[in-house]
Amino acid sequence: MRQDERSFVPIRRFIAFGISIFVIFSTLTARLYDLEIVRGDYYHQLSEQNRIVRLPVAAERGGIVDRTGYVLARNVPGFAISVIPVDLPRTREEELSQRLGSLIDVSSESVGDAIRAQRIRNPYEPVRISKTPVPREIALAVTERAELFPGVRVDPESIRFYADGTLYAPVIGYTGPITEQELSTLKDSGYLADDDLGRTGIEDVYEQYLRGAYGWREVERDAAQREIKTLALQRPTVGDTVALTIDDRLQKLLDAELRKGVEEDKFTQAVGVAMNPQNGEILAMVSIPGYDNNMFARGITTAELDALNADDRHPLVNKAIGDRYPAGSTFKMVTGLSALSEGTATRDTVVNVSASSFSVSGTSFFDWRAHGPLNFVTGFAHSSDIYFYTLAGGSPMAPNVKGVGPDAIAKYARMLGFGSPTGIDLPNENGGIMPDPAWKLATFDEPWTIGNTYQEAIGQGFVAVTPLQLLNAYAAVANGGTLWQPHLLKQVTDAAGKNVPIPAWNSQKLDMTQENLRLLRESARLVVTSGHAYMPNAKLPIAGKTGTAEFGSSTGKDSAGRNKLGFHNWFVSFVPQANNTDPTAQIAMVIFTYDSSKSLCELCLNPAVGMTQRILEQYLGANK
Amino acid sequence: MNLSRPATPLHDRPAPRRWTQLDPMLLIVTLLLIGYGLVMTYSTTAETRTFTGDPMQFVIRGAIWAAIGMAAMAAIALFDYAWLGAFAPLLYVFTLGLLSVVLAIGTSSLGAQRSVNIAGLSFQFSEVAKVLMIIVLAKFFADRRASIGSPLTMLLGLALLAPAVLLVYRQPDLGTSLVFIAIFFGIAFLAGARIWQLVALVAIAAASFPVVWSLLKDYQRGRLSAFLDPYADPQGAGWNIIQSLIAVGSGGATGKGLTAGTQSPLGYLPIAESDFVFSGLAEDLGFAGAVILFALYIVLLIAALRVALRSKDPFGMLIGAGIATMLLFQIMVNVGMAISLMPVTGIPLPFISHGGSSLVSICFALGVLQSISMRREPEGP
Repeated sequence: MRQDERSFVPIRRFIAFGISIFVIFSTLTARLYDLEIVRGDYYHQLSEQNRIVRLPVAAERGGIVDRTGYVLARNVPGFAISVIPVDLPRTREEELSQRLGSLIDVSSESVGDAIRAQRIRNPYEPVRISKTPVPREIALAVTERAELFPGVRVDPESIRFYADGTLYAPVIGYTGPITEQELSTLKDSGYLADDDLGRTGIEDVYEQYLRGAYGWREVERDAAQREIKTLALQRPTVGDTVALTIDDRLQKLLDAELRKGVEEDKFTQAVGVAMNPQNGEILAMVSIPGYDNNMFARGITTAELDALNADDRHPLVNKAIGDRYPAGSTFKMVTGLSALSEGTATRDTVVNVSASSFSVSGTSFFDWRAHGPLNFVTGFAHSSDIYFYTLAGGSPMAPNVKGVGPDAIAKYARMLGFGSPTGIDLPNENGGIMPDPAWKLATFDEPWTIGNTYQEAIGQGFVAVTPLQLLNAYAAVANGGTLWQPHLLKQVTDAAGKNVPIPAWNSQKLDMTQENLRLLRESARLVVTSGHAYMPNAKLPIAGKTGTAEFGSSTGKDSAGRNKLGFHNWFVSFVPQANNTDPTAQIAMVIFTYDSSKSLCELCLNPAVGMTQRILEQYLGANK
Repeated sequence: MNLSRPATPLHDRPAPRRWTQLDPMLLIVTLLLIGYGLVMTYSTTAETRTFTGDPMQFVIRGAIWAAIGMAAMAAIALFDYAWLGAFAPLLYVFTLGLLSVVLAIGTSSLGAQRSVNIAGLSFQFSEVAKVLMIIVLAKFFADRRASIGSPLTMLLGLALLAPAVLLVYRQPDLGTSLVFIAIFFGIAFLAGARIWQLVALVAIAAASFPVVWSLLKDYQRGRLSAFLDPYADPQGAGWNIIQSLIAVGSGGATGKGLTAGTQSPLGYLPIAESDFVFSGLAEDLGFAGAVILFALYIVLLIAALRVALRSKDPFGMLIGAGIATMLLFQIMVNVGMAISLMPVTGIPLPFISHGGSSLVSICFALGVLQSISMRREPEGP
């Protein structure tokens, strides 16, 4: 009876329901077991990675100083302005964009666009509005009137500052933001997406010292990437200080002379380099026109960059090393040393320059005057073209003198460093051209002619050198036969003041006799005392060699309204201790003026000579 | 043997209330689960990051709701559940009314209109509607035991269900509308519906999946595809699932400790005190905590089924079946979602999810169960 009354209870279905409960919970438990017990450690790690992030702490970039410790590049505090969209009411977005835009000189549209884009991406994360570091006054204006700048954040950041921007830009270069491509290779060395790195010059070459080591902060953050607290901190290591071999005093003397010449329109471009022949240290390096590298440090504008690129004088190129020019008569040193070393000429080899030209196979070759009889010393001192034509290739004026030939000249030229980069610690060095018959055949598919030999002898034709190559070759002669690797790095000190090891510099002994080198020095001294670079009232025993290369039209104006003078002028000099020829010169200098006046005359219009005398006398006079 | 009391209009047979027949197992497990829920509310909201001054405010609010829930449970247990059957048509109209009100004046949160604010408190009427619908469907099937095999009965039942499902779906709350459908199947199954009819319904639903898919909102489709492959869009649709898995897995055997979890306080778990509360529980209390929760749930479900089994009439039995189905389905979907066995749907986890409407509705349902239990036939000798 009771059984019947309860027949509505479907026992089997209750059992089925019970089984489904069991199956469902078994499944859930099995899955949980897999997640929490079997793979618990893996997920634990993931949760820590979620929560804890290691943020880099940028290291202050090291400073750059001259050899006396004068600061050339340092960091000054600047500020970055960002907006956190979540703290900015939408209704004030327009107003803030306008105000901020006009304050930091960014269009209000781009401010607004950045804020709106960030609102969508992650409104809790600040978006940077200032493209370039903002000065202190503006940062203060924002923080002091916070009610006018809702959601605006001001963070300190560092700006690279170059004390004498334009003066040192060709040497020091500048830093700039890392590119995506560079990042992919440099990521492993700790570079970050918004990093700066040395782009050119010393900043580029010695990036490894200057950069320093980044520290890190381990922070706990929430899902919106807001920092909750700092869990651990590793302080960054400040970059090393790089001391250059440059002497700021000489650099400024050199720059003042050259800049004056450009401003007075005596030439359109100028290069000056000074070095210590005894060890290859560069004491000064000036390239005019240059540029202010602070423009790059604070973020160059398109207009500024366009202006630099539009200047046909290529202000961004360090012309001491980055471009090549005909060496002119300065190259007679190489021709002379070749002939002396090969024994085809001696101090007493006489050529009677009885006329100002001669002709070979119907072509005439000129000197700037009929000098009369010349020996090696006077031939060099008066810069006789015919004398050196004869040493190089022989001539009807001295049938008994055998020319040393173009291959020998090329051989000794290369020994002196021509035709290949000197290896200075700067990027983008030009190797110049040191031609020989094989080179001409390979390059132009034409045979070498006697004319080529004559041109080569006086540094014209195919010969092309950088000012630094020329200086370095003369320095080797001045120091008694050692060709140094010229360099700008003097020493590196870390933040604690300890010296950091730096690479050793190469040097090579020239395969030339001391007697011949001494003869060259004696001849170069005579250039100044009685020859082509006569210096009135000279206070120093300066020796040197002028050079002039014809370059173009010598009348009218160029497109920028500058005088066209048509010649390049050189003066390479060194200062022996005594009035003659000892190899202890502590300074050698080259000055190169581009598109300047002709100087093939007794009155010597070569502007480089006078400038050299003034600079060296001021520099060394004060030094002594 | 003899029936000592005459049958009342409300009952097949007379039903005296017997306090001794109150189901102690059901009561105890209910209290334990309410306590567990308060502990989890405390744990997942302890961080001061909740933007309010008082980190205990969620716990206090939860305790108030628990007290209201237990009062409701006691009050409803006193009533003879047969009255519910008598007023079933009225309850049905009331249910649809409530759901329509939500659509009309509900406040929206996270893109869905699910709650109605009354006197500063927000009510999710669909939670109550689920329980009322259980009563309505139980009454419907209990009254049609004779014609249970007829497809017409099935269709009528579906017709009863459909408006409620559609109203909830329109909120939109896909998860809760699925709960309604699950309840229907649970009650129909224990009411003795033909298995082939139920299977046919499932088959029709499966066959119409492409149509359903096209009706789904973009975010719902995204959730479904994210369920199949969360790593296809780890920062987008897959984010919740991945972060939930990380929370659960990182709990390990015994968990990181109460309030020591990092995933929910740091905001990696969305809606950490409600939809994803299980992930926080598994992170804080680990596998052990989850297994204890499962054990309590199993006891709860067995107790509910036992009440149903012992009920003196089909109406009581089917109410029990419906409540057990609702609880089981919600647990399965909510936990399954947290451990990526189910797609993401916003269904609260009974007792554990912080939310007054859910808790009070469940207490109301369990009060009905106690009412059924107290009015069952005494045990045989």
